[in-house]
Amino acid sequence: MDCRESTTHLLDYQRGRLGPKQEEDLRTHLAGCPSCSRSEAIERTLTNLLERRLPQHPAPIALKLRLAAQWPSPSVTKLSWWERWGRSWVPAGAVALLLLVSVPMYYQALSSRQAGGAARMVTEAVNDHLRILQSQHPLEVESGNFHQVKPWFAGKLDFAPAVLFLGDQEFPLKGGSVGYFLDRKAAVFSYGYQLHVISLLVFRAESLPWPAGATGEPGKVRADERTARGFNVILWRKGEIGYALVSDAAPLELRRLAAKLGAAS
Amino acid sequence: MVLAEGSESRGALGREALAYADGLYNLARYLTGNDADAEDLVQETYALALRAAGQFARGTNLKAWLFRILRNAFISGYRRQRRNPTVGGLDTTDPHGQEAAPGEWPRNDMEMDQMRNVMAGDIEKALMSLSEEARTVVLLDLEGFTEAEAAQVLACAVGTVKSRLARARATLRQLLKDYAR
Repeated sequence: MDCRESTTHLLDYQRGRLGPKQEEDLRTHLAGCPSCSRSEAIERTLTNLLERRLPQHPAPIALKLRLAAQWPSPSVTKLSWWERWGRSWVPAGAVALLLLVSVPMYYQALSSRQAGGAARMVTEAVNDHLRILQSQHPLEVESGNFHQVKPWFAGKLDFAPAVLFLGDQEFPLKGGSVGYFLDRKAAVFSYGYQLHVISLLVFRAESLPWPAGATGEPGKVRADERTARGFNVILWRKGEIGYALVSDAAPLELRRLAAKLGAAS
Repeated sequence: MVLAEGSESRGALGREALAYADGLYNLARYLTGNDADAEDLVQETYALALRAAGQFARGTNLKAWLFRILRNAFISGYRRQRRNPTVGGLDTTDPHGQEAAPGEWPRNDMEMDQMRNVMAGDIEKALMSLSEEARTVVLLDLEGFTEAEAAQVLACAVGTVKSRLARARATLRQLLKDYAR
């Protein structure tokens, strides 16, 4: 491989998109060519700079809600079909028949709508977690001391975040911040697990499309577990307060933290 | 029944499409230079995608399809309204050192350190002063698109993406030189 070819393939090389033979050729060329090796270091530095420092602009939550409303879910269409039929006059026998057919369909539509809504909650939880990871100042209060973190939320939220797990050696509490979950404010607690960051979002639970399995306490009663874009998410609600736990840590570890949170809240 | 199946698949497509809202908004924000126009552009993109959902072939690249719709909407909107002529241009020639010789800066380790220390706001300023095409190709690369996928978004040849990206990055380095300290 010559310098011209090396320059052409540098970015593909850095992004791991070359075949094994081409990659090996380029690596050999770089090892023997100080000029190309320098270009490689410069390109790498520029990529790092852009990836780490260029401000990212995530979509505002209000816009996401508008987009979700603009793109109707399939369940809405099914309900309209049922409703249209319901409005028309039919003989009593036909009504009975219709009920026999439409009641199971209604529940199917309802569960499908719940599934769609739950997917939206999972997507939002993952987006919030990513926003926290990408933020240059993710934590507004940084402390390993829970008694500093919890009072910090006073006056910043329209509810009291019912979280009593102080963090421990396995899952140290790193700090907290105020965020948003869909249309409402959320208390964000950041826990660590080895090199992973785990976000706990706490928010008002009412009028959200909770999945059926999310009522109860993790560790005691089942919560709803899902995976989205490589992140594991556990959703549960207890009374008026909802919880979303998000991380790239393994489901088993996340479940262990959820159980600790459930036992302490 | 056909309608029900169609709307079912449209709904599934919608849910998948919404997962790209953040990436689309980021590109829209860097294309338009302000939040209000970026919101309008993303909303228009989803409206156009919803209307054309029947034409989308399942199994093909949804992300590239959405980004292409957004960019086309931006270009037609720009031509139609020219609401914000101060932000970049649609000219294919880059006003800032299109012919910048690669490798000109940084020249040594000290300058490389200077580049590493450029602040976030300055990087944003440098990116915004690139032409629309150059800015887009840099952002698509950061968004994780391969050159072949970026070529789909920009409706051009893969080789064109490769040379545009190399030129855009060389120009960016020249611009960053002014902010380095």
